[in-house]
Amino acid sequence: MTTTQRLVRGPGFGALIGVAAMLTAFTLIDSAGWWSVRTIANVVQFTSILGFLAMGQALVILSKEIDLSVGSVYGLTGVAFVTLQPDLGVPGAMLAALSIALACGLIQGLVVVRGGLPSMIVTLGGLFAFRGIIYVWTGGSVRNFPEEARVHSLTRLMGGELFGIEAAVFWMLGTLAVLTLVLNATRFGNRLLATGGNAESALSRGVRTDRVRVSVFALSALLAGCAGILTLADRPQTHVTIGELMELESIAAAVIGGCLLAGGRGSLWGAVLGAFIITGFRYELIALGAPSSWFITFVGLVLIFAVVVNQKLARMAGQSV
Amino acid sequence: MRISARLVTAALLASTVLAGAAGAQDKKYRFVMVSHIGSNDANMGWLTESLKTFEEKYPDVTTEYISTNNYSVQEHVRLLEQAISTNPDGIAVPIVDSDAFEGPLRKAIEMGIPVVAFNIPDGRPEAERIPYLTYVGGDEYLTGKRLGEYALAQVEAGKIPAPTGVVCAVHDAAHQGLKARCAGMRDAMEATGAKFQELFIGAEPATARNTLQSFLSANTDTNYIFTVAGWSSPWAWGVANEMGLKPDVDNEGVTVMTVDEAPVSIEGVRAGHILATNSQGFWLQGYAPMEWLYWYHELGYRPNSDILTGPIVINAENADQWAKLVRGVFGDTEYDNQNTW
Repeated sequence: MTTTQRLVRGPGFGALIGVAAMLTAFTLIDSAGWWSVRTIANVVQFTSILGFLAMGQALVILSKEIDLSVGSVYGLTGVAFVTLQPDLGVPGAMLAALSIALACGLIQGLVVVRGGLPSMIVTLGGLFAFRGIIYVWTGGSVRNFPEEARVHSLTRLMGGELFGIEAAVFWMLGTLAVLTLVLNATRFGNRLLATGGNAESALSRGVRTDRVRVSVFALSALLAGCAGILTLADRPQTHVTIGELMELESIAAAVIGGCLLAGGRGSLWGAVLGAFIITGFRYELIALGAPSSWFITFVGLVLIFAVVVNQKLARMAGQSV
Repeated sequence: MRISARLVTAALLASTVLAGAAGAQDKKYRFVMVSHIGSNDANMGWLTESLKTFEEKYPDVTTEYISTNNYSVQEHVRLLEQAISTNPDGIAVPIVDSDAFEGPLRKAIEMGIPVVAFNIPDGRPEAERIPYLTYVGGDEYLTGKRLGEYALAQVEAGKIPAPTGVVCAVHDAAHQGLKARCAGMRDAMEATGAKFQELFIGAEPATARNTLQSFLSANTDTNYIFTVAGWSSPWAWGVANEMGLKPDVDNEGVTVMTVDEAPVSIEGVRAGHILATNSQGFWLQGYAPMEWLYWYHELGYRPNSDILTGPIVINAENADQWAKLVRGVFGDTEYDNQNTW
């Protein structure tokens, strides 16, 4: 099979077409507004944040599960980073915050696997519980991130700029490259796809599907945590609402990017392109003067369209869905 | 899935209210404040602190503060109905949605439970509105109007640029009070001919910044930003600053205004980032409804009109005094923590 054929039959092809259609439409409607450095920089920067969550979500969906808690984990990690900084310093707070994210994912994964409970219910519980912890911990307002912490080298490494481009973009691209390699060229990736494709078959071939599933929940939470730290290292002025509804945007991005909720088929770069489509449309709809609340309607329509297209593409690729 | 989550939440809230009712048996009166200001909003501190002070002054009364997070009108109505079912001696509640609150509140009043509206009144004409005892709170419309008028006075004095475009950045599209703030600002700015637009930015910080930046890029004539929550003002200032729109208070670039006597709003004014904010007398909004409910029971008092506790404009001239007052309520540590500039 040639590279082109592989691309066309691949799960992210729908998202690629979507991005091409979006860019063509924006060029025709608002070329000067869309193709400005400021617009692209803003869209790409937010895509990077949502992209982290979407990649984690894609991994979970690939294993035939779902994670509704990523928005709250994203928020809790960011809040933990800012709140713990005075006591632990920037490196300590960052490590502690990421450990909290990892613990959130591990606990949920273990409850799903050991408890035999649906991930939708467990992570819905996580969504409420982690958000509740934010409210109780902060008392309604996230504390100040002092100047010395803002200029700390580690903060700048996560939230600064390189060649005029936000650090979050490089972190996202680097993570995407590593995770794509893990998914496509390692035993773990193979086991993950096998678990999502047909868990019974994978189990019969000796794959520890329980470990795989716990690992993806932990990875998803860790990626959400990284996104939270990248966000606050760049813009530390936040609120307890941080991350609200981002779980839904991450699911939308992963599905638009070609992930099948039936599991076993999906792509990480597709999920990032899905995040780009969502962010790009929000930006451009507002720029064109549409009420910003229309965006939700748009996401709903695109999501349904993407599911239909991706199912057709999956069937074309010979997968039963 | 959402239904089950709501059932759990409802059960928890019901048990809280019932527990409060049981514990209040040795007191003469039990008043319940059913609020929309939850633990995700630092302004809750004003109300809970004032209830504490009220209980110290009136030891024969127990007060309860119950509220929703992740605000939804349906959740709030459910909470209100649960509070009514415990038959308290008085209820204080914001009328966030007149239609949704009408049924339960009329039922409560028919049961003989006096009701005081606080923070948000029933916005309909007096003959149509819910027959509560009185309204204690600010005037959302006047909040926007007075701030707009203050800005125009500063234009007259040559301290800030005249408005060419005004955006009212709203984080909750269904909140009538926030819409009224925008309406007040719009009316204040009407005579200037500046283009006025309302923008729903949402409450999620990164999304709100993304939305605001898109709007400001496409609407280059916008030079006034009015955020209807104090905590979103640093986001608006930050976006404008990154775009090189010079958002500090001076005679060029963008001018930012906000609301509330929260530390972030006051310190924004003191730092020269925010032109003005307002106080709607949050502390009084907790204390005064309880006192009117008490006087109603003890003396038969019925206020003859609404009781306005604001707005008062907080600007560079009086911000220091406000900072002192707010530090007294929140404490120095909490005040500094909440200053996110």
